[in-house]
Amino acid sequence: MNKDNVDNIEKSSESADKDTGIKEESSTNARIEMNELIVNSLSKYEAKPNVMFAKLENLIQAFSQPIVKWARTNSLWPMQFGLACCAMELMDFGAARVDAERKGYLLFRGTPRQCDVMIIAGWVTKSMVPRIKRLYEQMADPKYVIAFGECATCGGPWWESYNIVKGIDQVLPVDVYVVGCPPRPENLYAALIKLQEKIKNGK
Amino acid sequence: MPTMRINVGPVHPSTHGVLRLIVDVDGDTIKKVEPHIGFLHRGVEKLSETRMYMQNVSYYNKLDYVAPLSWEDLYVGAVESVMGIEVKEQAQYIRIIMLEFQRIANHLLWLGTFCNDLGQMFTEFMWTFRERDKILKFFERVTGQRMFYNYMRLGGIRKPVPSNFNDDAYNLIEYLYKNISEYTKVLDANNIFKERLKGVGILSAEDAIEYGVSGPVLRASGVYEDVRKSHPYYAYNKINFHVPLKAEGDSFARYQVRYEEMFQSIKIIRDALMAMPGGDAVGMPVKLIIPPAKNNIIIERRELPKGEGLLYIVPDKQKPYRISIRAPAFTNLAVLPKLAEGAKYADLFAILGSLDIVMAEIDR
Repeated sequence: MNKDNVDNIEKSSESADKDTGIKEESSTNARIEMNELIVNSLSKYEAKPNVMFAKLENLIQAFSQPIVKWARTNSLWPMQFGLACCAMELMDFGAARVDAERKGYLLFRGTPRQCDVMIIAGWVTKSMVPRIKRLYEQMADPKYVIAFGECATCGGPWWESYNIVKGIDQVLPVDVYVVGCPPRPENLYAALIKLQEKIKNGK
Repeated sequence: MPTMRINVGPVHPSTHGVLRLIVDVDGDTIKKVEPHIGFLHRGVEKLSETRMYMQNVSYYNKLDYVAPLSWEDLYVGAVESVMGIEVKEQAQYIRIIMLEFQRIANHLLWLGTFCNDLGQMFTEFMWTFRERDKILKFFERVTGQRMFYNYMRLGGIRKPVPSNFNDDAYNLIEYLYKNISEYTKVLDANNIFKERLKGVGILSAEDAIEYGVSGPVLRASGVYEDVRKSHPYYAYNKINFHVPLKAEGDSFARYQVRYEEMFQSIKIIRDALMAMPGGDAVGMPVKLIIPPAKNNIIIERRELPKGEGLLYIVPDKQKPYRISIRAPAFTNLAVLPKLAEGAKYADLFAILGSLDIVMAEIDR
């Protein structure tokens, strides 16, 4: 008897909860219904899609996409942005021996708004993270990130340090990793060729 | 006119590192410059307390990534004096040769980026990097690495030098002498270059001593101080060379001092190659159990390319108990607010560039 009583009480409390829930749901339902009504009423006035025009659109897309991809692969502008040691090899990458210009990675730009590739060269400290994030957000789409060197890929020799982020991939989406401490300029060259393949195959 | 506050950086204002400058300007004249540092701090001094002596070497060559071998040498030299180990005679000369090559490489990189700062003088950048790459190639042949060599060992160097070491070094200094002499055609004969630097950022000798600057910045202000002469280490007292001095104290004098220093380094390398004795230069292997510390507290000084570096070590049995670093770039940066006050905003980077700072050394 006692148990039944308890069950009854529980059921009653549940039903009370449900009641309140239903009330809220009904109010939201009403809103949704109203919206549907409005949309349905408006749909009468919408222009029907033009068959001829849609096909043209598709055609243009089909033709333009390879051209856009080709243009993107062959004019990757890296950002002039170095953090630590690997920036020395980054400078060598743009200098006389490994002439980066001949493959289209020309012109290290000072502002993120003109750049496609961000090369994280060096260790990333906790105080630097918000600034790197902000620079990344200022870049125009599509944008790519290369983690250059041990420190940028996983923290490297500063793994035990209290002020280092263990890899830039905790903060930004990384496309290509380059290992080495520091990697040679040729390795960056190879990484950019890999990135070009990635863009060509549709990323 | 009300003062305007400009925020420069912290992303590579002049390709020297991650430095943030807060500049108050009145029109085009600088009222106040406030450098904010610490964007590359990773706690080298604390980290090196957790490792054994020779494991720390790879932390110390990352302090100044423009001239890694110099810091490596300073650290290993300090550990040697903690242990009471003497450097083998041939190793002393090899170290001198490598360190002077490193000094030239540092000054070349500085000159290239400095000219880049002064308004895209890109030719000079390409030229200096061409020469620097030759030096790195030589280092790669000798040490096996391109930038972080890990070459110094207690009492000597890691491995014996290759058989054609002398010929390679001779050819290289010949090449460097020929090419570095060419720079005057582009720089000293260039009116834009001269007028952007002459009379900009004048540092008097008294101020230089008060602020504690060292290296080429101090010598450009007319103070004769070089650790290689005042406290000679290795075989520097057996080699004849002179320390370039300038009295003007402006940015142009700093350029001239560094430019002269490259030729002096070439001379030192030539003399050291001629005087180098035969024998064995290989130091103690790392795997060997390290002898216990003999001395209590050690202060070791070296003339680094950027100025005077100093290490203070309180040794424990197998690890250092405490290490303190005196980085030359830190004190050289401290002069910037003094030099930039009253200058034009466009001159700020001519002054900053001429101080030759590297941020990893400042933030540690």
